[in-house]
Amino acid sequence: MGVGGYIALILTTFLSIFPFYWMFIVASNGTDEISKVPPTLLPGPRFFTVVSHVYEALPQFNQALLNSFYVGTAISVAQVFFSAIAGFAFAKLNFRGQKYMVLFVVLTMMLPSQLGIIPLFMLMGWAGLLNSLGALIIPALVTAFGVFWMRQVIDTQVPNELLEAASIDGAGVFRAYWNIVLPIIAQSSFVLGLFSFLASWNDFLWPLLVLNSPENFTAQVAVNQLKSSYAIDYALNMGGAFLSTLPLLILFIFVGRRLVRGVMDGAVKG
Amino acid sequence: MSRKWISTKTTAVITASLIAIGALGVISPAKATIDCTNASADGNGCTVLTVNTFGDVIEPALVSDYKKLHPEIKLSIKKSDLDALNGTALYTQCAAGGAGNPDIAAIEISYSGFWRAYPQCFTDLKTMHTTDGNKTANDIKGQYLPWRWDQGVGYNDSVIGIPTDVGGLQVAYRWDLFKKAGLPYQRDAVSAAWNTWPKFIDFGKKYMAKLTPAQKKANIGFLDNVGTIYAAILNQGTQKYYQNDGTDAGKLIYKSNKQVKLGFDTTIDAGKAGIGTRIGQFSSDWNVGMTKGTFAAMLAPAWMMDYIKGQAPDTSGKWDIANIPGGGGNQGGSQLSIPKGAKHKQEAWDFISWYLAPAQQLKVFQIYGLFPSTPSLYTNADLVGFKDPFFNNAPTGKIYASGVQKLKPIFEGKLERCIDMAMGSAISLVVNGKEKVPAKAFAKGLSDADKCK
Amino acid sequence: MSQSSVARRAPKPPSPWKPVKQSRKLSNPNAVVSLNGRWGYLFTAPFFVMFLIFGLAPIIYSVYIAFFNWDALGTQDFIGLDNFTALIADDRFWNAMVNTFDIWLMSTIPMLVLSIGLAAVLHNPYLRGSTFWRTILLVPNITSVLAIAIVFGQLFGRDFGIVNDIIGALGFQHIDFVQGTQSSHIAIASMIVWRWTGYNALIFLAAMLAVPGELYESASLDGATKWQQFRYVTLPSLRNTITFVLIVGTIGGLQVFAEPLILGGSYNGGDSGQFSTLTLFLFDQAFVAYKWGYAAAIGIMITLIVAIVSVINFYITRKLAGEKK
Repeated sequence: MGVGGYIALILTTFLSIFPFYWMFIVASNGTDEISKVPPTLLPGPRFFTVVSHVYEALPQFNQALLNSFYVGTAISVAQVFFSAIAGFAFAKLNFRGQKYMVLFVVLTMMLPSQLGIIPLFMLMGWAGLLNSLGALIIPALVTAFGVFWMRQVIDTQVPNELLEAASIDGAGVFRAYWNIVLPIIAQSSFVLGLFSFLASWNDFLWPLLVLNSPENFTAQVAVNQLKSSYAIDYALNMGGAFLSTLPLLILFIFVGRRLVRGVMDGAVKG
Repeated sequence: MSRKWISTKTTAVITASLIAIGALGVISPAKATIDCTNASADGNGCTVLTVNTFGDVIEPALVSDYKKLHPEIKLSIKKSDLDALNGTALYTQCAAGGAGNPDIAAIEISYSGFWRAYPQCFTDLKTMHTTDGNKTANDIKGQYLPWRWDQGVGYNDSVIGIPTDVGGLQVAYRWDLFKKAGLPYQRDAVSAAWNTWPKFIDFGKKYMAKLTPAQKKANIGFLDNVGTIYAAILNQGTQKYYQNDGTDAGKLIYKSNKQVKLGFDTTIDAGKAGIGTRIGQFSSDWNVGMTKGTFAAMLAPAWMMDYIKGQAPDTSGKWDIANIPGGGGNQGGSQLSIPKGAKHKQEAWDFISWYLAPAQQLKVFQIYGLFPSTPSLYTNADLVGFKDPFFNNAPTGKIYASGVQKLKPIFEGKLERCIDMAMGSAISLVVNGKEKVPAKAFAKGLSDADKCK
Repeated sequence: MSQSSVARRAPKPPSPWKPVKQSRKLSNPNAVVSLNGRWGYLFTAPFFVMFLIFGLAPIIYSVYIAFFNWDALGTQDFIGLDNFTALIADDRFWNAMVNTFDIWLMSTIPMLVLSIGLAAVLHNPYLRGSTFWRTILLVPNITSVLAIAIVFGQLFGRDFGIVNDIIGALGFQHIDFVQGTQSSHIAIASMIVWRWTGYNALIFLAAMLAVPGELYESASLDGATKWQQFRYVTLPSLRNTITFVLIVGTIGGLQVFAEPLILGGSYNGGDSGQFSTLTLFLFDQAFVAYKWGYAAAIGIMITLIVAIVSVINFYITRKLAGEKK
């Protein structure tokens, strides 16, 4: 493992983290930090003051974080589940019309999502789901991207011979799927789940549109409540943004360990 | 340690008291203070009013005040970005027949021209009667600046919103930098020296002449952005992009209106004179520039003062406020409306009429600095006597009051915002040197505005 | 066992354990024929049902209103193909298209190279602290839009931005990253690369880890260097993943929306539309001009453009990756 590799990684780390670190600097030093040239590089003493301001402005902040976690988990579990079985069917099963189905799925990924706002909103209104977390979860239960991803993963990682052998041994399709395919794609499924979670966490436009009550806000919508009319209290907003990103980062650190373990297992099996 | 934790006598007293209190409750069911703080839906005597607003339109201190007056009402407030609320959310909700409408929605004045055209999306506040005093919109109309009131009146004379604050517009300047350049720096002298726009441009030129070449290279200038002049001039006229021809929609006159050409030409002149730093307002360069004195003057609405204080605390005392050339101006402000799909129209109207009444607007000014749209307050001692040490003890209340009273009502139409953006882009093209011939840019602005139709 | 494309394309010899099936053109040549294909309908059903409701409805709505002069709050007049003919004649559309492609090329190519490179570094079994490095990869993706807007706004400031400080120190004149065309594209492309490189590196890493260790062993036994192993073992096995990342990246890249919005603060993509992209233009027509029919026409055109480019992408990648063997 050469020095070059480590240098690349350190550079990547620095570049990836600096906005996040900058959030912390501004939150802990104060709003005028934004206009300081040269900028302060070390955190300041006001962080906890800012945190208390954030909670003062947003008493439901913790609830918002929980909502985001809840929505993200529900969506990622559902998306992985539905994408995996559909992806398996497209990859390994033969049934009439599937080529067109796949093409159609991919085609719909290409339609800009902005167009769907009004019809989707009307649908949610008609279903009585407006201003509830259901409006976030239900339209996101399945994703064309997930199906496309799983199809490609299963195609690449699951050898036909294994499945044939299983079917010879008398396993039905579902058994073959459950016992053979799932373990192999576990780690890629995990990655998909992670990405689904992230996409849901970052989603801003739609939740802002459909959620009206502070109790139902997700993290992004909650942080947006810190904005003033025309100008920004940078310390407060950065503090809120930082606080809403931190739990996710901590989660990643724990998830990261599992990711490594899952990955090692996958590598051995491959 | 006695066996009995509480003596018999004490028990008797407590029991008697409890019975008495209980009896009192039965005999005189006085207004038991309900606590609706945690109510998330209607029920248990609580009513939840959903409010969709942006920024600081609904101020926390007054929300607490209202809670004391009406503990059975809970204000559930959601803030969005301005365009997200007025441009996307309100529109989508109305397109869906009012589904998802909040009880109260704030509409910024840049959207007032647009939403005037769709009164069917709102409740006509002329038809609402307050619980106390039976007041309708007509009854409170006289309390507000006429031109601010008009921004809430839609087609068919329906009143779709009541004015909140008024932005006003004056000039915030660094008197220490003016003094250094040998120019007049006391606010009355400054106001007199630039009481017209051509004089303002001359003043700027004199300032620029005193700068060293190094400073000019570092993009130090007089005004932050000359583009702000355009909007200011347009508001100083009697017509903008529309003419009131007796119909609701009005007649588009942006091509022929001399005021539009005047605003454009004056702005271009200012740009050519090189008095602007071409820094975009609210950009990061602008924030830094404010602390470093990159620009010595900026057109500032009342709410901008707080921003300057927050961004550049080290410049305290070095700023002052002078009158804007041409007399009066406005940037910002909003109306509170009750969308058609609101579920608690009566409670919403009670709140709106209370919140926007002069007494409450005064309190908002005192605590948060937002300037009232109710002229009765312009003679209020607190407002008149208010002096801001950050701005060299300028009597900001008086200054802004005189400014907002100079403006006249301007007929606004549906394409207001779209045309504003088209013209603004055209001006930017010239100011940033991308289009050398101003007439061409003007023509482009007009043709882009044509596409708004 | 490796999944060589050659092996897959050749017809399988009839197996003594399987009943000989009549040869019939298969919908899925890669299918395991001994598994009952009918299950496919059941397995894809949940996806399709949900999809029909939430995915198809917007599409039908959009295709419908594209033939109208559609004011969602007012009147709707049928105008046939007028929206489309107007769009083709609209400078703003072509301008947005050029910008979109420029930004897409500027961001996709560096991102692909960087993410594969990063994945290769992370793939090394001797790497210390791999959990840490992998976690770091996703930090750009979870950083909130507000923070990105502020940080990159400061980074690319004309007078006081860090990038311009460096440029000035090197003796050049400051660049205006918002006003300029190419410079704004560079700023946007760097935001995109920043946000998505780590994400794609993870995808490549997952794919690399699925490559069996035996392939590397036999290659190194044959005397291949680390670089040769990368070129002849790793890269070809990544072919599917590269195709996938490219197609998804194309779809996402041609629909770039958030970054130009962050740079400009409004939907016009700059005063002369210098960084107006296709979806930004769509949104501008939908929620600023409120011309929903026109916006729908734009959306349909975007879909067609993305489809065409994806197909081209697909064939190019297949060809290139095939040559690598």
